[in-house]
Amino acid sequence: MEALQKIAKEALASKEAAFIIGYARVPGSQKTRPFIARDEAEAGQLVFDEYCQNNLAVYLTRIARPKEGKMGIVAKSCDVRAIVALLQENQIKRNEVYIIGVNCSGVVEDPAQPLSKENLAGKCNMCQAPQPAGTDTVVGEAKPYERADDKVGKLLAQLDSLSPQERFAFWEAEFEKCVKCYACRQACPLCYCEQCIADKSQPRWIESSASVRGNFAWNMIRAFHLAGRCIGCGECSRACPADIPLMLLNRKMGMIAMKEFNYRHGSNMDDPTLVGSYNNSDRNDFIM
Amino acid sequence: MKIGVFICYCGENIGRTVDCAAVAQAAAKFPGVIHSEDYKYMCSDPGQNLIKQAIREKQLDAIVVGSCSPHMHEKTFRKAAAGAGINPYMVEIANLREHCSWIHDDIPSATKKAIELTRIAVEKVKYNEPLIPIRVPVTKRALVIGGGISGIQAALDIANAGFEVVLVEKEPSIGGHMSQLSETFPTLDCSQCILTPRMVEVYQHPKIKLLTYSEVENVEGFIGNFKVTIRKKARGVKEDLCTGCGLCVQKCPIRKVAKNEFEEGLANRPAMYVPFPQAVPNLPVIDRSVCTYYKSGKCQMCKKVCGRDAVDFEQQDSFVTEDIGSIIVATGYKLYTIDKKPENSPIQGYGEYGYGKYTDVINGLQFERIASASGPTSGEILRPSDSKVPKKVVFIQCVGSRDEAKGFTYCSKICCMYTAKHAMLYKHKVHDGEAYVFYMDIRAGGKMYEEFVRRAIEEDDVKYIRGRVSKIYEEDGKYIVKGEDTIAGMQVIIDADMVVLATAMVAQPEAPKLAQLLGVPYDKYGFLAEVHPKLRPVETSSGGIFLAGACHSPRDIPESVAMASAAAAKALVLFGSDMLEREPVIAKVNAGTCAGCFYCQKVCAYNAIEQKEIKNRAGEVIKVVAYVNEGLCQGCGTCNATCPSKSVELVGFKDEQIFNEICALY
Repeated sequence: MEALQKIAKEALASKEAAFIIGYARVPGSQKTRPFIARDEAEAGQLVFDEYCQNNLAVYLTRIARPKEGKMGIVAKSCDVRAIVALLQENQIKRNEVYIIGVNCSGVVEDPAQPLSKENLAGKCNMCQAPQPAGTDTVVGEAKPYERADDKVGKLLAQLDSLSPQERFAFWEAEFEKCVKCYACRQACPLCYCEQCIADKSQPRWIESSASVRGNFAWNMIRAFHLAGRCIGCGECSRACPADIPLMLLNRKMGMIAMKEFNYRHGSNMDDPTLVGSYNNSDRNDFIM
Repeated sequence: MKIGVFICYCGENIGRTVDCAAVAQAAAKFPGVIHSEDYKYMCSDPGQNLIKQAIREKQLDAIVVGSCSPHMHEKTFRKAAAGAGINPYMVEIANLREHCSWIHDDIPSATKKAIELTRIAVEKVKYNEPLIPIRVPVTKRALVIGGGISGIQAALDIANAGFEVVLVEKEPSIGGHMSQLSETFPTLDCSQCILTPRMVEVYQHPKIKLLTYSEVENVEGFIGNFKVTIRKKARGVKEDLCTGCGLCVQKCPIRKVAKNEFEEGLANRPAMYVPFPQAVPNLPVIDRSVCTYYKSGKCQMCKKVCGRDAVDFEQQDSFVTEDIGSIIVATGYKLYTIDKKPENSPIQGYGEYGYGKYTDVINGLQFERIASASGPTSGEILRPSDSKVPKKVVFIQCVGSRDEAKGFTYCSKICCMYTAKHAMLYKHKVHDGEAYVFYMDIRAGGKMYEEFVRRAIEEDDVKYIRGRVSKIYEEDGKYIVKGEDTIAGMQVIIDADMVVLATAMVAQPEAPKLAQLLGVPYDKYGFLAEVHPKLRPVETSSGGIFLAGACHSPRDIPESVAMASAAAAKALVLFGSDMLEREPVIAKVNAGTCAGCFYCQKVCAYNAIEQKEIKNRAGEVIKVVAYVNEGLCQGCGTCNATCPSKSVELVGFKDEQIFNEICALY
């Protein structure tokens, strides 16, 4: 934690970074919250541990760009993938960000409980590389952690085994809970459009009423727009007040992208994007 | 908005299956429609007059014509509307023929569908906006890529019409494959004798800028306004000083260091060389891969003997940028090298014919050189291995062509004719020789072509055997050709002295790269694609870029020349006006909502999307958004479909128009 604060202070002092997007402790709690350190004193409040669940990359496209200096950001390896995805999609330039990579030993699912095999965030179960790559600097050490059962994966397999009607019934029940708060959109680092298609009213392509139809339209269009783009941070699921398992959709789409096109978004900033590239060897048997 | 609906019977085409009068009556009740009528031929003069009259009398704002495909008569009806004083883009077509009458046979349901199609067109036209054609200036200067007969013809035609031409050839001399040929079918006139005057004309033409030993490096811009960067490869000889005396070539001490490309490897050449005596320009070039100076820094003999000090060992590749209005691609073909399996290719090759292994198994172009008076044997028919006169020669057609299993599916088109020519030339020079031709079919479609083949068979006694050859092997100094005669139904074995393979014509290996640079589609073989095989055979889908000759598909000299003149005519049509009018149906970006992900840029096939900086009043960049270049956009709508925030719209097919169409159906 001292190492992180030291690097952040140096970056701010040398004007390398105009601010550092990081985590700070919620007063009187072990929980953390997103925190933007703008000077050395504030940098002293930065923390990193297993309670730092948020994917802070979401702020890179939301925050006003500094006139001088870079946007500093504390990033776990999963967050780095979101940053790389943003680089791939022209939302930021590499020389606009100062990435402080943090080696991660897994984060909690429920911040009220300590980290354990049972209380491990779903994304950490899936994590392939807890050490971030391609960052400007790396702090901390990654300790191996015990992984739990892949609950999401199991549920996906279970859903895949259902008939389309049964699957539809499952999602109908899930989407019925949606209150259209768009928290999933707000928490998603890759939902950066200035005007979401769901908000477009002339014409209104996406049914926006709070009905089963409208809820389906919204959640499906979001899934489609994230197909081959979602980097799997799970912030949408975590933000959802209705506990809709949104990551099921995103992960299924990601699995298809991997299976059919051997593509994983956010792996390399020089990679062409899945939807934006064409390869002669791409599958085309679905074209009639 | 006051809308008029006009339903056409198209004679019986629509009228047979659709009750046109009922459609017109139904349309009259659509909201916004104040005039509706039907007529037998809306595209006819009286039909158009009905439209014009209604527009004037009822002061219509927009019209819907229920007729054939907009591909056929949209322009006609737009002109009619413009003639009556409304904007031509206030016209929508309901396709009642291709989309309805032609594909249905039940009159009541086809009529119902026709009414629906008309209804959605009416709903769309309500959101149409008057559009003004885009006008872009035209640079009246052409680029011709490739200096073979096609490129030469196209360049001369354009230059003779009074416009400047830049002719780029990658080899040191223009002339292409035609300069290598001995005689040409079906008249047997000497190829070089008819070609070289044209080459000289190109060289001397005040309107033609000739860049040999050069390649197109980059192409930017759009129809009428291309910017082309050309790499001039270093010859090692200063073009402005060299007089072409040839002393350096004579004195180059390493005489036979490399295979002579012009002689198809049947002779060697020195490191300093002129490709062939009639080369244009008559300038030597140093082959740096074999020159002693570039290996050891020694020799410099050419530099010492040059009286003009024109040899420049330090010369580097240089680049020129040209402003171009129209591009003609005439990059020609290559012969398929059958001895090895091409990399990344499904083609298997014909190892069993022994090409590359047996010196006397040669291809058609090599035979041309042997038969040519300027060739390595001075026109005497001598086989390469021992320079003896071959007494028995076997010609095999379709080596690689028309062979789905091992070669290419297409017909190389010229082989039937040139094989007949080869056999004939051989018989004319070796009177006691025997010539055998293995063929699949004889395709001699062309003026005097069939007569030519008959002459080879009947007058010159060339023996034609219908069948394929399975194997060629060497035995006692003879090449044993094993084949079948499918007409006699028996096996044929010929002990030949020489075998000539009519190998398939293939696209230049660099053609796909050039095509990508130009944004021109190409087929799986690398041949460039035209827009329409019948009605627009020389135009490409990229505006202002035309095709000539064998880069498009296998073709012979007369066809290549005709195509080159056609391409030149297309370029001249473009140069006929100062400003170019383009369809205003193009994409437009809403800079306010564009998130700048540039997926549109990635998927645009026409490189029409640029990045544009949006600045505030202080001049600071606040965001970077997509911007559509009006000159390049073809209005295909791919960006429109890709944009996640729906910030791109296709003018004329705006979201509101499409949405209204869909809503009208439910």
